Amino acid sequence: MQRSRMATALVGVAVTGAILAGCSSGESTDEPSTASDGPVTLEYWAWNESQEKIVAAWNESHPDIQVKHSDVGGGGDTSAKLVTSTRAGNAPDVALVEYNTLPAMIVAGVAADITEYTGELAEQFAPGVWSQTTFDGATYGVPQDTGPQALNYNKARFDELGVEVPTTWEEFAEAAEAIHTADPDAYITTFAPAEFGGFAAFAQQAGAEWWSVDGDTWTVDIDGEASKAVADYWQDLIDRDLVLAEPLLTPEWNASLNEGNILSWPAGIWAAGVLYGVGEQMEGEWALAPLPQWTPGDASAAFQGGSGAIVTTSSEHPKEAAEFAAFMASAEVGQIQIDTGGYPASLAGQELTLESEPPALMSNQDDYWDVAAEIAASTIPDLSWGPNVNVASSAFEDAMASAITNGTPLADALTETEKVVVEDMRSAGFEVEAD
Amino acid sequence: MTATVQSPAPARTLRRARRRWVPPYLFLLPAGVLFIAFFAIPIVYAIYLSFRGFRVTGGGPFGVRQEAWVGFENYIKTFAEPEFLAGFGRLAIYGVIAVPLTLGLALIFALLLDLPRIRAARFSRTAIFIPYAVPGVIASLLWGFLYLPSTSPLNWILDKLGLPDVVMLSGGALYPAIANVAIWGGVGFNMIIIYTSLRGIPSEIYEAARIDGANEWTIAWRIKIPLVGPALVLTGLFSLIGTLQVYGEPTTLRPMTTEISQTWVPLMKIYRDAFARDDLSLAAASSVILAIGTLVVSVILLRATQRKSFGGGE
Repeated sequence: MQRSRMATALVGVAVTGAILAGCSSGESTDEPSTASDGPVTLEYWAWNESQEKIVAAWNESHPDIQVKHSDVGGGGDTSAKLVTSTRAGNAPDVALVEYNTLPAMIVAGVAADITEYTGELAEQFAPGVWSQTTFDGATYGVPQDTGPQALNYNKARFDELGVEVPTTWEEFAEAAEAIHTADPDAYITTFAPAEFGGFAAFAQQAGAEWWSVDGDTWTVDIDGEASKAVADYWQDLIDRDLVLAEPLLTPEWNASLNEGNILSWPAGIWAAGVLYGVGEQMEGEWALAPLPQWTPGDASAAFQGGSGAIVTTSSEHPKEAAEFAAFMASAEVGQIQIDTGGYPASLAGQELTLESEPPALMSNQDDYWDVAAEIAASTIPDLSWGPNVNVASSAFEDAMASAITNGTPLADALTETEKVVVEDMRSAGFEVEAD
Repeated sequence: MTATVQSPAPARTLRRARRRWVPPYLFLLPAGVLFIAFFAIPIVYAIYLSFRGFRVTGGGPFGVRQEAWVGFENYIKTFAEPEFLAGFGRLAIYGVIAVPLTLGLALIFALLLDLPRIRAARFSRTAIFIPYAVPGVIASLLWGFLYLPSTSPLNWILDKLGLPDVVMLSGGALYPAIANVAIWGGVGFNMIIIYTSLRGIPSEIYEAARIDGANEWTIAWRIKIPLVGPALVLTGLFSLIGTLQVYGEPTTLRPMTTEISQTWVPLMKIYRDAFARDDLSLAAASSVILAIGTLVVSVILLRATQRKSFGGGE
């Protein structure tokens, strides 16, 4: 008990400190003693393959601000650990957070408002990307990588079965039928109940807005018309046995993938790296195409995944921490990300991609980066995630899984998810309106 | 006067008394400190947490959530949540399959190993015990691969024979599939306890029984099983507590199937509340309820079986 009160006190001090720092912005001329007192060491939590190199590059050019990197697990694990460590008062200075969990990090008191340090950084990102880390006019992080949703498909198999790459969802359904008819073992793709981020992106592409804020009131609309239409679309494909309905990346799924029986994965463009990780032997056989559209001729897609660097409220060196976070906007970081299979969030980094080699899985696609740039340019801006995406994601996963197991409508699972999300927000004390 | 004469005596006895009383406590100290630090304090803290909750205090759509006193709200929520209770239902089905089979197989193996003139006893004993040494997560992964249609050797054989696949991780086979992992791992441990208890039975009893014309079957049924009663009660209690604490097997198998939800058993729901939903207080309240429930069930089981296996009276 003693310890917890201490931790609470520490968090309280950190929060107050951050608020005070926020209040006094503009007039504070001399920063707290930290800047001039020799090298500062920052702790940094992040999970992907490019981090070691990013940190090494920074440390080399910034002898006064040394960064110590630890990998504490993927996006979900890192967020959970950030919340607990913030309450214990020992969170790192800087951490990578997925865009959709950033609001949860703000209301949990993890992410600090760094508006005063980020200045003109906004110009170095596309507006849709920058809006992922800015809420209510305050900036809470610097975007690092993005995942515009695209169609990752097994080109070799599509060609073999003589199926055209679909450009609309209607064509996608036709292609699904054509593929399954040509080869009864083959399926165009998998509908995975645990893919909350993927489904949310499908729904956003169709025009859904799951969370929105008006003044002090949140509106939650997870089972709106657009989302239900998306659910019904996939329901139909599942009912006709044209797509698989099972979890992704299981030994089972990986085996089918490698046998060439799963022909595509509509997901963030980081998918090439993930698929290569479980199917190296398919090197060069896959390709990238824009996500199918609901209306022919449209070109829109939402983000699936992607993350930004936040400064925590526990940091004793918010200024230096924000400086390191701002490093993510540099071309240097962009190049490292491209080399390690990521897609940079910054404009500088995205420009560099045009001179780079495509990822191994898609090594035969010469226009890979042009396609990627085109997709990234057409992402839907101004998406808003709620303060309890973690709750939504876990509720969605269970509701979808049981809908698939019991054969009940997927659309009902959305209603179920919304109910849980609204209840959770109300019990936490938010004002919520549900449609 | 008397005071001056007598005063040294009590002081000496006090010192002697202290000399006699200090060492035991000194020896107890390390265990006591560990007990308090890693058992008592966490329990008290969990109970304290179960009455707390995170509530928005700042106001506004991005108000920061802070810890506040919420009374019995978390307890009410635990009981009001159908998923928590449904978890116990699933646990019951699992327990009905796993516990009798584990104990039954353990008893059979122990009795077989205890037969006179048994061959390869040491090898068999080790072979049966080894699965217990395999960590639960590894065992679950191992079995998971064996269950999944495209990696399962059984389905490979069925496929070659032109027979349909066996689906293990969905439908009616799900409970036996999960229970099987626990049974595979648990039989060896329980067998050792029962076997040790069997070895403790004096051999005169068997000699007397044989003189009376008893065969091995009668000896097992009439003498050995009643005499290892206490060991059976003990293993039964372990299995019951183990069942209430099932977590590793379903959690490890969950990514391989859509049928295991995040709240499949009570402990999984507690984990989800604490770490996926960031509601430590609700998780603490549910844990307290689970712990009290386990305690009550254990006491009832011990009371009931004690009366039976020790002949009823004090």
